[in-house]
Amino acid sequence: MESHHSLGTSSDWIVMAVYFIAILAFGAYFSKYNRTTTDFFFGGRRFAWWLIAMSIVATGVGSHSFIKYSAKGFEAGFSSTMTYINDWFFVPFFIFGWLPIIVYTKIRSIPEYFEKRFSPITRFFATFLLLLYMIGYVGIGFLTMGKAILPLLPPEFTIFGFHFNVTLMGLVIVIALIIGIYITYGGQTAVIFTDLLQGFILIFTGFLVFLLGIDYLGGFGVFWNLLPTEWKLPFAHFNNPPGFNFVGIFWQDGVAGSVGFLFMNMGLIMRFMACKSVDESRKAATFNILFMLPLSAIVVGNAGWIGKAISVANPSVVPPDTNPDAIFVVVANIISHPGVFGFIMAALTAALMSTVDTLLNATAAVYINDIHRPVKKWLTKKIQSWKEEDKEELFSARIATAIFTFLGVLTVIPFSKFPTVYEAHGYFHSTLTPPLVVAIFLGVFWKRFSNSSVIGTLVGGVALMILGMYYPRPLIEFFDHGTAFDPKHPYTYIGALYNLFVCVLFAVLTTFTIKQQLKIVEKIKNSPNHSLIMASMVVASIVIFLLIAFNLLPMIVLVILTFIMVFFVVIVSNYYIEYNEEEKTNGLTVWSINKAKEYFKGSKINDREGEKIKVNWKLKEGEDDTIHFSKNDMKRMAAEVGDLVYISDTRKYLGGLKSCHTVYGEPHDEDGVVYISREHVEQGQFVKGHKLIAEKEM
Amino acid sequence: MPSIYYTWLPYIYLYGVGGLFFLSGLIIVKKAGGYNPLNKRHRYWWKVTIFGFFYFMVLHALIILAALYL
Repeated sequence: MESHHSLGTSSDWIVMAVYFIAILAFGAYFSKYNRTTTDFFFGGRRFAWWLIAMSIVATGVGSHSFIKYSAKGFEAGFSSTMTYINDWFFVPFFIFGWLPIIVYTKIRSIPEYFEKRFSPITRFFATFLLLLYMIGYVGIGFLTMGKAILPLLPPEFTIFGFHFNVTLMGLVIVIALIIGIYITYGGQTAVIFTDLLQGFILIFTGFLVFLLGIDYLGGFGVFWNLLPTEWKLPFAHFNNPPGFNFVGIFWQDGVAGSVGFLFMNMGLIMRFMACKSVDESRKAATFNILFMLPLSAIVVGNAGWIGKAISVANPSVVPPDTNPDAIFVVVANIISHPGVFGFIMAALTAALMSTVDTLLNATAAVYINDIHRPVKKWLTKKIQSWKEEDKEELFSARIATAIFTFLGVLTVIPFSKFPTVYEAHGYFHSTLTPPLVVAIFLGVFWKRFSNSSVIGTLVGGVALMILGMYYPRPLIEFFDHGTAFDPKHPYTYIGALYNLFVCVLFAVLTTFTIKQQLKIVEKIKNSPNHSLIMASMVVASIVIFLLIAFNLLPMIVLVILTFIMVFFVVIVSNYYIEYNEEEKTNGLTVWSINKAKEYFKGSKINDREGEKIKVNWKLKEGEDDTIHFSKNDMKRMAAEVGDLVYISDTRKYLGGLKSCHTVYGEPHDEDGVVYISREHVEQGQFVKGHKLIAEKEM
Repeated sequence: MPSIYYTWLPYIYLYGVGGLFFLSGLIIVKKAGGYNPLNKRHRYWWKVTIFGFFYFMVLHALIILAALYL
């Protein structure tokens, strides 16, 4: 495979340096809007849909996408777009189910949902699996960035007499250091705004590459005719080859990936939670999937298509055996002039930074919510003011970010063993997402899915998934849809279907046998040896899990033992953890969303439709969290005292940056004026003389 | 002409199996009350959701036809 080094000129490096400094300065400016941990992680829940939609583009496109999809575009053509246009099937579940639930229940992380919906122990399982997932994602980001920048560097260089060989891992470590420093001081508002800027630049850059490429080839007609017909089809071959086929990618990306993306990608969820309302989040999500993702598919994959066309027309310029992961950089270098290439590379690497920093920010949020706070509550009884607590948490969040950055670098080692980033990402997704995806999904949409069921699903699912890795034949083979067996990387994608199946299998089995489980628990409780029976079941479960993890017995025995282990696990969880279905599902499943809304507001919902009004603001005495409009203005907004209100600067282009949420207080008689506290002014960064626009939330 | 394994089989599988997930989503959120037909905004989002499904279906079909016949 042909590898590349020292691409680009000194003017490209100057452009890249200037771009990076500008982006860092841009982010640093917006970090002043982080006053609390809520601002740091969620941007204060105040932004308009378009701002979030564009910033999501940078996160989605920026990730590993340019490298990964250009590689597949070069190898297989337009079918590289498959994963960008298959996310719609789960949209009803998302916009009418999960989205309102995460906003109205005020959860700050996915594991927190698990505790509310099930029990503290499931929060522990979820935290563990989610952190693995997110750190893995960070690792994929680092690997991609390393692969993107490597072709630009010389194979070795000497500074002050010290000789350095440029390696992928060495480069990844340097990149991780830069990103770690940036995100540690930026926070979510900085991330949203740098991503917003980069969202625009990325789309521009992607189309710039496409247009320059078409121009290089001599027009669209030439490009179209150079590509073989298979390269122009939107889908890969149904089940062949094992490294890139439709059916495997459908289950890995279209099902596990889409649900994972919408339901458990904390980076994305935090963006939606940064929107000012559920309706704005819906707009951001649907606009992104309907319009931005198809455009992004062209943006990220076209360098590969252009590369293929050039390799057909002139194999000496782009040899057909060029390393696919380097094709984006190679094509950008061929079709652009010095300086322009630097700009394209800067946009690409800065976009990759966006994805990684979003993920690191989200990982720190999970750490603070699901490890730091519960552990601190457990270890210390010291009472702190919220300001002291907040300061301490911000500091811990920054330390956690640094640690997760380091762990992300470590995960690059196994991922770098895959032939391309696409395969590494596909395998990672199909392996790590199914247990959590099934647990969250059924938790939200199936009332009967109980605490013991979710524990049984996670433990049993993971156990059979491990066996699937040891024995892809015959376990995964049964689901392979005719995909050939590749002994080096068996069932990279279709493995997701097997993994989803085994998790759903245990979910269904443990949910439908709940009555029998409770009867057995009752009998055990009445036995004089109940403690001994329980202790034996716990020990037996641990021993069986270790036997499975280290593959110490024949496959068939381990499969049978998995079912026995799940039986023990559900009995133990029913014995030790009390689960009240009514209490644990109220407002936490799609079946009781109105309760969640009431919980959010703290009183009955006022759904009457009112107007948005423009008002001048004046400072009021006192610091309570209420604002005061005139009686007439309240009437126009169809608002009552105690309802929730959103006020923002009237300048729409600010996208809600200067805004805050608060509560209607007692009205006065001065029409067109709202009285707000000093805290509201600081929170919303309102400017004297600028009017505010007010709207009732609920 | 590429085989059906490249063209319409993936298309039918995508919108057949994906369509089942999509339809079950619509049914569940409607039955559960996540979608409230009395709410104007909900009705709007309901239409957008259904539109989105056919939008992608048509988009994919057009790309296949363009690849095969243009």
